[in-house]
Amino acid sequence: MRITLHKSLLCTAAVVMVFPLASLAQQTKADFEARIGMESHIGHVTGHAKSAQYDYRRYCVGCHGDRGDGMGENFPWVDPKPRDFQLGIFKCRSTPTGTLPTDQDLSDTIGRGLDRSNMPPWNVFTDQQKADLVAWVKHFSPRFASEKPGTPIQIPAEPEVTADRIKAGREVFARVQCWKCHGVTGEANGPSASTLQDDLGRPIAAFNFTEGSRPKCGSSDQDLYRIFMTGLDGTPMPSFADNIKPDEAWDLVFYLRTLMSEPSKEKAIAKQLGLKPVDTNAPAQPSGQQ
Amino acid sequence: MKNLQKLAAVLMAVMVVLCGALLLTHEVSAASEGKISGTVKYEGTPPHMRGIDMSKDPYCAKANASTSPHMENVVVGSGGGLENVVLYISEGLSGAALSQPATNVPVFDQKNCEYTPHVLAMDVGQTFKVTTSDQTAHNIHPNPNPMTGNIPWNQSQPPGAPPVEKSWKAPEMIEVKCNIHPWMHGWFAVVKGPYATTDANGNYTISNVPPGNYTVTAWQETLGTQTAKVTVSGAAPAKADFTFKGK
Amino acid sequence: MRMGTQSRQYSFAASAIPLTLLAVFVVLSVSQPANALPAFARKYGLRCSACHESWPMLNYFGQKFKDNGYQLMNDRDAPIWQNASYWPITLRMTPFWSRESTSKAAVDTAPTGEQRMTTTGFNLSGLDILTGGTLEKNFSFLLVPSADEEGAFHFESVNVRFDNLFKSPWLNVKVGKFELDSFISEKRTLTLSESGGEFQLFHFIPVGDGNIFGQVGDNQIGAEWMGHSGNDRTRLSAAVFSSTDGNVDVPYGQNSYTGFFAGSQAFSTGKLGVQRIGGYAMYGVAPTTYLTSGGVPLPGSGIGNKSFSRVGFEGLFYLGPHLDFQVFTQHGEDSAWFGACYGEIMAGTCPDTNNNTTGILPAGARNPTWNGAFVETHYVYSPQLTIFQRSEWVRMSQQAFATNPSNLGDIDNYVVGYRYNPFMTSRAGFAFHNEYSWIRQRGTSPVTGTDLSSNSLLLGFDFDF
Repeated sequence: MRITLHKSLLCTAAVVMVFPLASLAQQTKADFEARIGMESHIGHVTGHAKSAQYDYRRYCVGCHGDRGDGMGENFPWVDPKPRDFQLGIFKCRSTPTGTLPTDQDLSDTIGRGLDRSNMPPWNVFTDQQKADLVAWVKHFSPRFASEKPGTPIQIPAEPEVTADRIKAGREVFARVQCWKCHGVTGEANGPSASTLQDDLGRPIAAFNFTEGSRPKCGSSDQDLYRIFMTGLDGTPMPSFADNIKPDEAWDLVFYLRTLMSEPSKEKAIAKQLGLKPVDTNAPAQPSGQQ
Repeated sequence: MKNLQKLAAVLMAVMVVLCGALLLTHEVSAASEGKISGTVKYEGTPPHMRGIDMSKDPYCAKANASTSPHMENVVVGSGGGLENVVLYISEGLSGAALSQPATNVPVFDQKNCEYTPHVLAMDVGQTFKVTTSDQTAHNIHPNPNPMTGNIPWNQSQPPGAPPVEKSWKAPEMIEVKCNIHPWMHGWFAVVKGPYATTDANGNYTISNVPPGNYTVTAWQETLGTQTAKVTVSGAAPAKADFTFKGK
Repeated sequence: MRMGTQSRQYSFAASAIPLTLLAVFVVLSVSQPANALPAFARKYGLRCSACHESWPMLNYFGQKFKDNGYQLMNDRDAPIWQNASYWPITLRMTPFWSRESTSKAAVDTAPTGEQRMTTTGFNLSGLDILTGGTLEKNFSFLLVPSADEEGAFHFESVNVRFDNLFKSPWLNVKVGKFELDSFISEKRTLTLSESGGEFQLFHFIPVGDGNIFGQVGDNQIGAEWMGHSGNDRTRLSAAVFSSTDGNVDVPYGQNSYTGFFAGSQAFSTGKLGVQRIGGYAMYGVAPTTYLTSGGVPLPGSGIGNKSFSRVGFEGLFYLGPHLDFQVFTQHGEDSAWFGACYGEIMAGTCPDTNNNTTGILPAGARNPTWNGAFVETHYVYSPQLTIFQRSEWVRMSQQAFATNPSNLGDIDNYVVGYRYNPFMTSRAGFAFHNEYSWIRQRGTSPVTGTDLSSNSLLLGFDFDF
């Protein structure tokens, strides 16, 4: 049997057209119900997706929507847009880029909120409430049913802040070129800052260190360490885990502190040293760190 | 939502029946490996490819000072050959040919603030490498649809950074971007089974194809797909030429 | 509405005046100025249910939002982040039908001078115009012009807040006219009806008492310090305000101030939820002597400050997400001077003896004291449907005069109802409200001085936008 080109073309085109429809239909109520037994384990607390339905409806559904797709009634008015839980992609993780966050990560995000977004800190919730909501958030994505969370990155004990470490951190800042987006002074005015887009093609701003704002994924030294080592998935912020060694990472954390507006030991030392912003015209330093 | 699901299910069922009737599949007989080759041409006036202003990154601008960089969505050679078309076997492959991903490691290099090659084809599960030859920082940020099983990731590659080695779980045409240099745009074409990419003249050869009847699909990032039926008999390479018409 | 409550209107001394009628008609207002602000919902894209257990009653998250000075603390609170057309105004009104029945109204035709009177009809509540929000990070305001059902306006709340001073959640200050800081709020009560809308303990005044200043439910004019832990588990506040019961332009006396202190602690009990217990104490002085002109006391001339106090326990207990109990108690005491009806010059309940010109306490006068409690239960079936009840009791423990019956003025009040929001979005609030309440106050009928009871049935539509 000879099959003409246009027939097969028609067939392929039809399959191509219907496939997205089918994959959309994939995320049906029935699918969610199949995953409703989802649990979370945070410390000694076990969360059950089922138990979070009431809280989700009360607190979350206006933005994240009934299906967890981030298409709640406020979707058109909210910027940054609400997270689509079906994709299973999260900014704030302790796990490497491209992997699922841990239950603790999700719980921390709920409690911390995401500054400069419409997500407020829900730190009034009990651990049980947060654990239940984490399980509920996970049940929206098929990924959590089939994949394990990534292995959290190791954060070594924080060393003592020294002038040498801050200077070394400045070198790291220059070498991995944080300034491309964040700017040499941390004011989010680097050459690439104005064209940044998130994974859905929507404009997104780099973090401005100098405004006194808290970074989205936490403001402790450990949080800063984690942010650049894991990257913020779904955003332009990449993971630097392959390019910054653990000890250097602490140096960079200390240097980042000097850019922030809050008074800190690092800031005082930088002032004493008369530390200048990195020079972007200096020839790029080969890494030599492999 | 329920209706949508039903609709999709019905459409899919109809499609399977129709396609089954239309496309006759053949048993692949285990025999010596054959080849499929051919040429992909572009008919018509090639579309204008927008130039790229790299002045925001002096390194990139300097690296391209002698050339005039432009977008690479449709690259047509002098003889009308279409470059960067991915060819793969969309139907007719059986288990053995599918289960073993290729073992070579294709390389996706960031050079002069562009991706080389512009389209990197690979097999599902095949390890590939992303390298940087540039003295400016890149971030390598593929953005697949996580529903397919391919998970987006985003890694930095400052000057001198070690290669990133990864693989993909499912067939998908994945866009790759660098957020630092918004003009940088490439593809990971992840397919199942043997594949080839056209060269500057539009020529290709898919190797390691067992004898049998196949549907070959040609995919071009903006022009879409075309398919052709071929029979690989073992001796001479089966021929399948394609022509994409300009709009 | 603030000016009249049942406990105050049915004065023993004024029994000759047909106040009952007034109480039924004049005070027939269900306006409960409350901070149910779709303006906030619009600003933040949160549904009513995010901040309100059942609008307008706050939940824990809403309480924290308020305690932060109407800030979510996500660095998007300042109006500079809002669409320029955003305007922080909410209007609230309640058209309703009600049936009001009182057991003993003073009427000329009745043989005893009293008879049961029942009225039914459609009515309106007053209008609350609620505006509030942040002016700049950590600077916020609340302004509530409130009209009665005839459109006469007063300023229910007018205050500015300074929050997180020195970046500490423990340092927040507000100045102006504001609600006293109790996590059980009458401004956000679910109950609306004539005889069940208000908390009796928030306005209780013993029969014949001249002290209107000790009403913890009335908004007061002064300054308040508030502090709370980061997650609001611990809350503390101290306020000082003029002893004017929130009335403007009437500095009643010289150096007459009242202090109000409240504190509470919440703790998690796993699956049951977060429980909160706390207490409050109010201590103040108010004048009992005024200069008069033509026999009328002159506001502002008050001297002879005498004291009063209110202390009590507050608790909010959850049995899972659907069921909670609010418990509120009060031990109140007024100076014997107030008990003898000195000091009050506004409501006219002490027409002959409001001026302590003699400086001599009437013979046998004692400090009126009382104890009271209420338990309010909410069964929150869903964020859109809540069934509630409140049972409240006030018992006099010492009358100002031994000659008074020992139970004079005691109150029993029971309310039951439900509130249903047919839809819930982050744009507007709408509730269908059905409520029945019954109240009895001992020995306060207008003519015979026997027990007076009344009941209300209310069917209303409560909306705000």
